Amino acid sequence: MQTALWKSIINTRTLSIVGMCKNAGKTTVLNRLLSESHGRVLGLTSIGRDGESTDVVTGTEKPGIFIPEGTLFATAKDMLSLCDVTQEIVYTTGIPTPLGEVVLVRARSAGSVQLAGPSITSQLKTVSDLFFSLGAEQAIIDGALGRKSLGARAIAEGVILCTGASYDRRMEKVVGDTANVFRVMNLKKAETVPEESDRPLAEILKASPEALIPGALTDAAVVPLLKSGALRNARLVVKDPSKVLLSPDTLDKLAIRNVTLETVEAAKVLCVTVNPVSAYGWTFDAEAFRNAMQAAVDVPVINVKEAAL
Amino acid sequence: MISIGFDDSVKIGLQYVLETLHPCCPFGAERVRKLRFYAPDERELLETELKNTERAANAADALGPLYEKIMLVLCQLKDIRGSLRRLSEGAILDHVELFELKGFLLRVADLLPLFEKMQETAQANGIAFSDPSAALSVLDPEGTRSRGFYIPDGASEQLRAIRAEKKRLEQRLYEAPDAEKDTIKTERTRVCAEEETEEREIRKAMCTALLPHVPAMLNNADAAGRLDFLIQKALFAKKYGGVRPEITESALELQDMTNPELVDLLKAKGRAFVPVSIATDRGATVVTGANMGGKSVAMKTIALNALLFHAGFPVCAKAAKMPMLHCVRMLFDDAQSMQSGLSGFGSEIVRFNEALKEVEQGYSLFLIDELGRGTNPDEGAVIVQAVTRHLNALDAISILATHYDGVAEHARMHYQIIGLKDVDPDAIKAELSAAHEDGVAVIARHMNYGLYRVEGKADCPKDALNICRMLSMQPEILACIEEAYKE
Repeated sequence: MQTALWKSIINTRTLSIVGMCKNAGKTTVLNRLLSESHGRVLGLTSIGRDGESTDVVTGTEKPGIFIPEGTLFATAKDMLSLCDVTQEIVYTTGIPTPLGEVVLVRARSAGSVQLAGPSITSQLKTVSDLFFSLGAEQAIIDGALGRKSLGARAIAEGVILCTGASYDRRMEKVVGDTANVFRVMNLKKAETVPEESDRPLAEILKASPEALIPGALTDAAVVPLLKSGALRNARLVVKDPSKVLLSPDTLDKLAIRNVTLETVEAAKVLCVTVNPVSAYGWTFDAEAFRNAMQAAVDVPVINVKEAAL
Repeated sequence: MISIGFDDSVKIGLQYVLETLHPCCPFGAERVRKLRFYAPDERELLETELKNTERAANAADALGPLYEKIMLVLCQLKDIRGSLRRLSEGAILDHVELFELKGFLLRVADLLPLFEKMQETAQANGIAFSDPSAALSVLDPEGTRSRGFYIPDGASEQLRAIRAEKKRLEQRLYEAPDAEKDTIKTERTRVCAEEETEEREIRKAMCTALLPHVPAMLNNADAAGRLDFLIQKALFAKKYGGVRPEITESALELQDMTNPELVDLLKAKGRAFVPVSIATDRGATVVTGANMGGKSVAMKTIALNALLFHAGFPVCAKAAKMPMLHCVRMLFDDAQSMQSGLSGFGSEIVRFNEALKEVEQGYSLFLIDELGRGTNPDEGAVIVQAVTRHLNALDAISILATHYDGVAEHARMHYQIIGLKDVDPDAIKAELSAAHEDGVAVIARHMNYGLYRVEGKADCPKDALNICRMLSMQPEILACIEEAYKE
């Protein structure tokens, strides 16, 4: 039987799991996917180091990543002694990390693994291509925290966005910020990209209703233009979602002024997962949290703590 | 011993030659990076290498696809010498190291039939691969020939039992009620530790079994490097028209030699390199010629080809005869030594002394470009004459390029740049006034950079005057110069 989580990702070949914060339930989601893979061969890696058994930031016990037999994974050589699967080394990539070369391993038994994959986008692409050539059906990239992961769209077609009570004590804040990230990540892919220009945004918009933003899009740049009315009905295109550094309030204002925000690189958020339990001692009402989150986004919202996802 | 610094290597175009090579494996790359020059007492080795290269170059057209296949396998070889060293020191190699060793052996096994096929047409003497199958059977006991490395369950009875238990516990972990899971997990951790210990024992046994094969594996790494280098040299010879020189006792003859860097540079400008020929022997040879005439190019090309020869390369010439040399020393214009605080002339003399000391150690090639250029012409001429006389008596081939008068008569041989000797100055002058291009470029186009041997007393080349005339120097001055020549 396919669970809701699997249903949302089944048709996506490469996906990344991105967390709003520590203890958002990223690893729980990953373990769910792995345990419900039903014989599908998955390729698994991470952006940089992840999967330590104790969270080095909060000191809370973190679940390890437990993979079924047959799974392919890519990790730094020094991590291999911390993996208890029976290992078949299948490829050495030559990609260096502080923890040694990234090595591709086929798990010949189930077991726990420690992931420390490449941290450069192009290398992650190399690794996921290798997974497919070695017979993987899907590649999963365990993303990093925060904004950096927005860039994961360059390598993954789909994103699972994980959020939870650990992000903030106020549920509205968690839902609001998650919805904001969701909105930015799910920006429409630009069908045409406006020409790049060095001129100030205000000047470009006088001549044309659209503009490519070469760097970051910030409140400081946008708010004055909103006030002057220069942005009305404009189309702004950013290189990728990580370049959008706008507050939710500004995003709302852009929507009201009929300003379209688009991106050159586009992936899709496939689902949002919520973890109502915070690592810092407070807990949200699971149902209320899920419902509030669901009201804010138009993809499935799944509670990671529920037995059947 | 022949050695060459990076600056000189760049200056004479040796670095350019090395950069045209594309060695595929780390062992081949190392041979290019640490170029080895054969010494006079290694004549047989050099001859073998040169003949190997000649055969490989001659067969390059017929064996092109085979070379490609060999190169493709070589590209996949990784440098396993670090692991082999650890193995010899008694270390237990980890999974990844054993994987790399297995990969190396598998690729050597792929290489063997290709190399044998190459040997049928282009015999490469002195390159021999050891059979990797014995070492391979240690790392691949079940003979699966799979690329991955995995310690199979059957490696020991104990491992089989441990892995079965591990699997059983994993199954139980899925099925057992939550309350029992912690106990099963603890049990599983213990079994995983047992597996690790047993695998370590097996890896240890594998390493012990591999130990006797270390010399063969090192030999294979070396052979792969030599094969890689050989193919690259053959492809180089094909591209730049190399030839195997005949080894002589003392004579040096280069017929129509070229310099790949300049060939390519001029080709890009739509011009062609004029091949240079020289035949010389023990003693001093003086090369004279006008400025712009390419004396330096000739000197550099001689140095380049002498070094290529000693590195087992084909020589870029139509025909070549070369002696084996103790060393090749060059004294070319060197901006770097100026920075050492000495004046241009002072540093030149210091470097000359150093070089001479080395040249005196054995039959060598000594190339000196414009010695004493930085001092006044009267003194300079006297110094160069004396140096030439000294070098003429020395057991070495010394070649001096100079534009000082009266040097050639102290040398055994005298070569001159053909330059503008056979060109009608009026014709060029006409061309210059017709075409509105840079006069220097027009002259350069007509300049013959070849050398010719001057027999007997040399007449002073009048190219400088010719150039003045062609570039329409004021007639009054020209008349003065001509007057002076007559005196």
